Amino acid sequence: MQNHASVSYPILSPYLSKYPRVAGAIFQTYNDLLLAQQWTDLDVVDLPSCSRCGFRGRRPQTEATLSVVPCSLAESISISWLTSALKSFHDTEHIYLAITAEDSSIVYYKISPGIVKPPI
Amino acid sequence: MSMITSSNRQSGQRKGGFRRNENNRIYANPLPLIFSPIEHTRIWPSHILLGILGFSSSRIANPHCEGIFDAATRSVWVSNAEDSMTLWRRGFFGKGNLSRSEPSWLARRINARKIAENGLTAEEVTAKRRAERKQFKLDRAQAIAEAAAAAELAFSEGRIITTEETGIVIPSAATWKPHSSTAPKPTVPPPLADDNIEEEEDIPENMEHLQLTLQEAFFLLWTMDCLSVLDPNTNTAMSVQQIWIAFQAAHFPPHLPIDTASILSAHRFDNPFLINYAVYHHYRSLGWVVKNGIKFCADYMLYKRGPVFHHAEFAVVVCPVYEDPSDQESSPFDLQNASPFAWSWLSTINRVNSQVQKTLILTYVTIPARSRIPASLLSTPACLRQYSVREVTIRRFIPARMRD
Repeated sequence: MQNHASVSYPILSPYLSKYPRVAGAIFQTYNDLLLAQQWTDLDVVDLPSCSRCGFRGRRPQTEATLSVVPCSLAESISISWLTSALKSFHDTEHIYLAITAEDSSIVYYKISPGIVKPPI
Repeated sequence: MSMITSSNRQSGQRKGGFRRNENNRIYANPLPLIFSPIEHTRIWPSHILLGILGFSSSRIANPHCEGIFDAATRSVWVSNAEDSMTLWRRGFFGKGNLSRSEPSWLARRINARKIAENGLTAEEVTAKRRAERKQFKLDRAQAIAEAAAAAELAFSEGRIITTEETGIVIPSAATWKPHSSTAPKPTVPPPLADDNIEEEEDIPENMEHLQLTLQEAFFLLWTMDCLSVLDPNTNTAMSVQQIWIAFQAAHFPPHLPIDTASILSAHRFDNPFLINYAVYHHYRSLGWVVKNGIKFCADYMLYKRGPVFHHAEFAVVVCPVYEDPSDQESSPFDLQNASPFAWSWLSTINRVNSQVQKTLILTYVTIPARSRIPASLLSTPACLRQYSVREVTIRRFIPARMRD
């Protein structure tokens, strides 16, 4: 990882070496949450059942803590993978799946267990 | 054009013809190389003489941009702000890694500090529009609930009334106006010499870089020689040969050594880099601007001139086809859309793109057989000649409506 990403690299480096296949997705998602989305209280959570790490934090000017699991567009993920991701964050109702692409585009999908009625 | 704007400029100037002319001026060059004709001599114009002999007399201005290869994110990072702007403005190459398209992160941070209410970047304009639309939906839902409650009340009294008779107006998108902001109106501080010095010290470090995909980077350096890629470990420029091998190795599992021998011994023509590069090069050489299509359920979007001019007309889905089916069974890559797809998948993608007025293109790339082509071809881009690229356009046919 390059020198101008010096803010995130020390925090992420143990996870980047532990999960080299998803190192790119982890790095891009963390940078997006920290710098572009401006999340506060951003913590890294190890998710060995999904062979990656996830993130928890708060959006600017909100109180609720949200959970994010990064993945890459090239990966194929299953319902059981999503279920274990949901279970790994113990006290959350839903998680956000961050899908990263090679051009640094990120799309976030909100995943909830069961059927959820749309808000409006 | 700076995205950091002061607040008192006429906002009307930002619309319509002004914006169009500005864009035509800024994005005038479709490629990073600029061709400029040499000045004519008086007696016998040299350009005519050269033209007869078949040579071009234009001078080529090459920006010579520089980027660093990052294997984990499978991309090339351009950190130099001037190179980033050059590559974006001349051909829309790359994407700011903290922005929606053009690298605008620093401008947004500075704008946030300057409390500039009129100078908004693209992301801020979209955020404002989305917030207003959300408020409109809340108002509409509330009005509908009130109308329903009033109707219930009337029904319980024994009358049946219509929506108009309840007297409650349900807002529509055309007539709804955003409420006046409840936040305190931001004031613009009068400019003082001291303030300017403070602001310069306050400018945050630019944490953003322009991210080029491996396909974009290779296209720039191979066809136009306007990009040099540095090795992240040694900070020295890599040769085209090394880059070609490294870009292929980026898709293999991380433990594979990055050298020609291991790439040749793996002997894989279905490397996602090769397939995607065949598609990227195909459309770029035909003049399309090719960008990522993740937001529209597709692999690539094709723009006629660029994202700032008009929405993309086409969405491309890459469907790799194996010449030899046994190659697919032995593949170490998880290639998407390489197997026959279900009608529901096709229908979903077509619907998504029809909603946003885009035409779906299925691009079939034929992967040559390992049994027919020797591995040695993989050491240079010459192997690309073995791939064929064909397109099929998909549009939904509705017999009842399409009578002509």
